[in-house]
Amino acid sequence: MSVASAEIGEGGTRGWRLRAAATPYVLLVPALLALAAVSLYPIFYGARASLHRYRYGIDMGSAGKQNYVDVFHDPVFWEAIKTTAKYVVIAVPIETLLGLGLALLVARELRFVSWIRVTLILPMTIAPVVVGVIFRLLYASDIGVANPLFEKLGLGTPNILARETSAFLGLVAVDVWEWTPLLFLILLAGLTSLPQDPLEAAEVDGASRVQAFFHHTLPLLKPVLLVAITLRTIDAVGTFDQIFVLTKGGPGTSTQLISIYAYNTAFTFTQYGQAMAMLIALLACLLLLMAAAVHFMRRTSEAVA
Amino acid sequence: MSETPVTAADPFARPLTRREVLKRGAVGTAVVFGSTIAFAPRRVWAAEHANSITMGSFQDNAMAPIRDYFNKLFTKETGIKVNYNETNYDTWYQNAKNDGLNKTGAYDIYVMDDNWVPEFAAGKIIQSLDSLGFKVNPDILEKGVEQGLWPPKRGAKMKAFAKQKPELYAIVNIDDVEILYYNKKYFPHAPQTWDDVYKVAKAKSKPGKLYGWSARGVKGNPIVQTYLPLMSAYGANFVNPDWSPGFNGPAGVAALVRLFSFIPYMPSGVAEFDTDQETQVLLQGKCTALTEYTGLVHQIDNPSASKVIHQINTAATPAQERHGPAIGTFICGIASGAKNPQAAVHYLEWFTSSRIQKEFARRGGSAAVTGSALHDPVAVKKYRWLPAIADAVNNSVPKPRTPDEPKMEDILGTALNEALVEAISKKSGYQAIAQKHLNSAAKQITSYLKQQGGYF
Repeated sequence: MSVASAEIGEGGTRGWRLRAAATPYVLLVPALLALAAVSLYPIFYGARASLHRYRYGIDMGSAGKQNYVDVFHDPVFWEAIKTTAKYVVIAVPIETLLGLGLALLVARELRFVSWIRVTLILPMTIAPVVVGVIFRLLYASDIGVANPLFEKLGLGTPNILARETSAFLGLVAVDVWEWTPLLFLILLAGLTSLPQDPLEAAEVDGASRVQAFFHHTLPLLKPVLLVAITLRTIDAVGTFDQIFVLTKGGPGTSTQLISIYAYNTAFTFTQYGQAMAMLIALLACLLLLMAAAVHFMRRTSEAVA
Repeated sequence: MSETPVTAADPFARPLTRREVLKRGAVGTAVVFGSTIAFAPRRVWAAEHANSITMGSFQDNAMAPIRDYFNKLFTKETGIKVNYNETNYDTWYQNAKNDGLNKTGAYDIYVMDDNWVPEFAAGKIIQSLDSLGFKVNPDILEKGVEQGLWPPKRGAKMKAFAKQKPELYAIVNIDDVEILYYNKKYFPHAPQTWDDVYKVAKAKSKPGKLYGWSARGVKGNPIVQTYLPLMSAYGANFVNPDWSPGFNGPAGVAALVRLFSFIPYMPSGVAEFDTDQETQVLLQGKCTALTEYTGLVHQIDNPSASKVIHQINTAATPAQERHGPAIGTFICGIASGAKNPQAAVHYLEWFTSSRIQKEFARRGGSAAVTGSALHDPVAVKKYRWLPAIADAVNNSVPKPRTPDEPKMEDILGTALNEALVEAISKKSGYQAIAQKHLNSAAKQITSYLKQQGGYF
């Protein structure tokens, strides 16, 4: 027991001591209630909806686990999961590598570097729907610039959005264009806050820049890198706007991410229960991913320390 | 800067005690709640007794004459004010549904897409117009009126509603239907069959400069709208009366093969085309013909939208075994929680009357819902497409009448888009491609309907 507590215990009544102990918790109640209302209630409501059957837009009562059974037997759901995984696995590493490369390039104080930094983060500041419209104007086979450009280069007309593979890769390119700046920004902040002593010591010891990067900078940057990748992965799983504007999930189902399929299931097919079952299952997967990332981050931080 | 001295007269100079904060907070809250309680009943009373109705709609140019002219005319003639709110399609669908399910009473009239009717009627989101004493104008084209019936008068019916007598839940206010648009430079008269369209496409098209056909190829609803007039014309059904898919038989496959036969004469990126891209090709004078809904009629003679004004003519979509334009009317229902349902009935009867419909057709050539308006000599002289709309409505084929229609359409539309992409890339083997993808869609639709229950 601390000295202060002992003094209070000697001078105060039992009730006063209890009140003093409870005060911090009481003061926390409004914040906790606000958090519960804003963050937790929608999740609980969604989880409840995932156990209900909806027909004609009306809640018809409990469906037990049927929505989950239907979702897990729906081949389109699994296809959407596969497409989402493919999208994330391709886009996020490219964005990370580019973001890291750009951060390393502009981390040094060069002339015009502040202008370069501002220019680099511009794509991130544009609303995703607008990004979709911009790229539609670039990709569209009738008025876009892609077809004439490829034709001039003698590569034929790619009709980017009309073919499954090119539409998918076209969307990945949009994601890379828009979100590399986020990775760049986080990693730049990480780089500028790294302790300089180990790097200076390595330089004194005659380590090359590449050696210093792989043996000192990268290990020190690992926690930041992991946070950035985790955040971007979660965000990429939920990509919606650009795809809705550009392809609506087509051609076929080649760009139908889980977000698009869940949206259609809820708002076009009015199967709210099934849509929620999909999203709750996805949330569970993301929570597992986040838990693994946090665990890995702790281990890395301990190792670095 | 000199500091202001703290005086007893300055109430902000002294810090507030906790007790004072609570006291003043309580007084403030009481004032807010008190004023809400004091004014709320008056507002509710005002809304209930005001001589007004509130109409909600999705944004669409076809609604502009109603919003800007006819609602004011109704107020002038009857003294009933019409409040008109519009928003985008998806948002309005959700707003209307929530309003009706919760009987909020924010709206009296919903302007709907006709495929909302099964869900809105079965879910009691809208009221039965028959129960409200609505009198149908016999001049309204029958196929249009049928879009507002639940359960449907003909075709496949869901088991739970099969024995119920069809009731009118909504009344058509714009007869939107697919029609053929053709450039008269290439067609001396309206093509009668799909074979006629194909012959001209083959003879006249010069890829890159002039296309023989343009279509909506995007997955989902757009490509289904392209396929439906072909499918119906070749004699296939979306679903048979027993809910088994009817498009994967020989007729449905032949219809899709006919669509594929236009591939050499269509823009190369057609699989990504939606309405805007599809129609631009026609309006730029780069296409001989296409099928589209009636909204396009307002652009074909507009010099700021079209390079070929007065060159585009219209007709019912071509036949093969039969005509088969898809119908997709704008239709009005009365909200389950409407505060002024009788005024809403009055409005709908007024707007669908022969007199007002004639004026609707004469003002801009809108797709009126009565036969007399669509054949009115004054209107037709100015707007040559009106008889084609009447012809198309009379020959139209509705989509399956079920709340699950959007899912069925999505499955078919995804399969059609996949088939089109494959056919464009392989350039041959159309029959096998069509059969494979239509079979896949049929299997998925059957499986989905079984899962939902109430069909077989």
